[in-house]
Amino acid sequence: MTLHLDRRHFLGLAGVTASAAALAACGGPSTTGGGQATSQAADIDFSGVKPAAKIDFWSSHPGQSQDVEKSLIEKFEAKNPGITVNLVTAGANYEEIAQKFQTAQAAKSGLPGVVVLSDVWWFRYYTNGSIIPVDSLTKQLDMKMDDFQQSLVNDYKYDGKQWALPYGRSTPLFYYNKDHFAAAGVPDRAPKTWQEFGDWAPKLKASSGAQYAYIYPALAGYAGWTLQNMLWGWGGGWSNEWDITCDSAESVAALQWAQDSIYKDKWAGVSSKEAADDFSAGLTSATIASTGSLLGILKSAKFNVGVGFLPGGPKATTNVCPTGGAGLGIPSGITKEEQLAAGMFLDFVTQPESTAEFSAATGYMPTRKSADMKAVLAKTPQIQTAVDQLAVTKVQDNARVFLPGADQEMAKAAAKILTQQGDVKSTMTDLKSTLQGIYDRDVKPKLKS
Amino acid sequence: MTRQLAPHPSAKPKRPPGRSAKVPRRRWTARTRRDFFVFLAMALPNLVLIAVFTYRPLFSNMYYSTLDWTLGSPTASVVGLANYVTFFTSNDAPKVLGTTAVFTLVTVGGSMILGLLVALALNAKVRGTTFARSAVFAPYILSGVGVGLVWLFIFDPGYGVLAWLLRGIGQQSPQWINDPQLSLVMVILVYVWKNLGYCAVVYLAGLQSLPQEVMEAASLDGANGFRRFLSISLPLLSPTTFFLLITTLLSSLQAFDLIRIMTPLGTGTSTLIYEAYLQAFGAYNRAGYSAAISVVLFAILLVITVLQLRFVERKVHYS
Repeated sequence: MTLHLDRRHFLGLAGVTASAAALAACGGPSTTGGGQATSQAADIDFSGVKPAAKIDFWSSHPGQSQDVEKSLIEKFEAKNPGITVNLVTAGANYEEIAQKFQTAQAAKSGLPGVVVLSDVWWFRYYTNGSIIPVDSLTKQLDMKMDDFQQSLVNDYKYDGKQWALPYGRSTPLFYYNKDHFAAAGVPDRAPKTWQEFGDWAPKLKASSGAQYAYIYPALAGYAGWTLQNMLWGWGGGWSNEWDITCDSAESVAALQWAQDSIYKDKWAGVSSKEAADDFSAGLTSATIASTGSLLGILKSAKFNVGVGFLPGGPKATTNVCPTGGAGLGIPSGITKEEQLAAGMFLDFVTQPESTAEFSAATGYMPTRKSADMKAVLAKTPQIQTAVDQLAVTKVQDNARVFLPGADQEMAKAAAKILTQQGDVKSTMTDLKSTLQGIYDRDVKPKLKS
Repeated sequence: MTRQLAPHPSAKPKRPPGRSAKVPRRRWTARTRRDFFVFLAMALPNLVLIAVFTYRPLFSNMYYSTLDWTLGSPTASVVGLANYVTFFTSNDAPKVLGTTAVFTLVTVGGSMILGLLVALALNAKVRGTTFARSAVFAPYILSGVGVGLVWLFIFDPGYGVLAWLLRGIGQQSPQWINDPQLSLVMVILVYVWKNLGYCAVVYLAGLQSLPQEVMEAASLDGANGFRRFLSISLPLLSPTTFFLLITTLLSSLQAFDLIRIMTPLGTGTSTLIYEAYLQAFGAYNRAGYSAAISVVLFAILLVITVLQLRFVERKVHYS
């Protein structure tokens, strides 16, 4: 038989092959089950399971914690010679690590044993079925759950299960330049309310020579997180449970005050990149930044740094500080052996000694009540303010932490109000509509009735 | 007397009688077989790579665009064209398409016009043009991430170089990063700066291949420099312009690195490709919706390329 295969036929064949390959690749998610998966709430039985010899730990090294993470891993490996933990820089921030984690979920390969998950991401991992509840691990490993700071550990509870454990947990802190405050003749403390700071601000701006008396944190960062403080102080919020309230009279009044501080009173500005850096550079007399920025600020600032609780507002002067930061979770798509090894690592890094060491290196809060902080506080007494503020923190609004993309929408709305002098009421009305749409489309169908 | 007309050049010659219309197949000789295997060895790896890494994701993406799929979720539901309907009926569509149009038109126009002007300057026979050519082309080969970071430092309204210069003359820096409109201007400026070197070098090659005798003839006829450029250089450069139009248009529509580094939230700078990224990986995790936006971008690219090849190329003078 003569083979008649010229170039034209070959290209045709190649095209068919390519099409077949393309069609074969149309795998992706399963569409047979319908709807979306949520994490299995059933306890996983780890009895008789041997821990894996090696796991990856994906971290974004919050608070420049790479060195202390390496140190903790070395101590863990010394205590558990059969387990190796490979520290992986999986992103520069919470968003990048989430991107990598979700891509690995979609690819169904390369998942770590332990992953850093932020306050706005863990719930999505739960609804996607990407993480396991750690309850059976905490029981098997005899972890003392009642020794955790309850406000921090309860953030990861849903549907009666514990979905992660607190790790690099923070609150915002009020940072101020003591030298500027002294020169302006205002008290050497954080203001009790924003109105009080409004009285101080013109004096600060006039006497300090700094560009601003106060700089709002960068909107591309976590505007939704820090602005909760003002919203709560005025009696408003992003939401009340699942009721979106960002367009309430109180919320609008809070953001109108913020806008006026920039455009009318002209003593405030908005950071373009990192408020902590602006503050350290002397660009502003005061700002709000994470406790995780504390050591960095103390190291780089060439002036006396003061820290204090977040100011209140006309309606509320206490419980106006949101918790935040990151926890640690265990993926569902890995073997039981890996999950057990991950649980053992989780147990180790949340031990009182470990959390004290982590706190000393970063400024993040100790997550265990029994953590011995004497040495840490002797070296960095400002951490005490962060620890004390824990008692007056408030759980974040659902709209910010549970709605996918809400943080970005809040940042866009804040940008319109604070950098373009947009109308506050209409901007917040638009935001409410957007957030409601996200809730109705992406969250409501997945909630337990 | 009957006058015989010469056959029209386009008329097909008559087939000799008795010959079949079918062209006989070539025999599969040892030589053709060898040639075929050489062809196979050369082409097959590339065809496989194109099939796996270009067409496979393309078709997968089209399939995903019909799903309501949250990135990371193992399950999804088929929604047909709902993602497309959602995009085109949302408030985002006019904003995203408008931003894409402004970004593309200004960056393509800016890069090409400035590139041509730079090429004309570099074409002059003066000292230092070799260094100038390298300097102009260098930004094009630099990493977009590095370029973005450096320019962010220059534009930073707090302690950027530009702010420092403006303070020196008693002016406040514009809010380049926080103001969405200025963010777009900032990214466009940097993109044009980075890419005009490419246009300049390609235009320079075009200018240097222009026939000098035509220029000299025009000079003898009294045409000044501007007239020679307008009536001779520019039309003769049309193949170069056409080539640059296609390549810069396609790369502008797919610009990502500078936007990602300089404006991570995409506020004011969310072009189609960046919106697709944000929707899937930014925070929303709407993988199906993101895939639909990608397909819209693909369709736009395809239409533009076909239109360019069909209509713009007709205006090109190749000699």
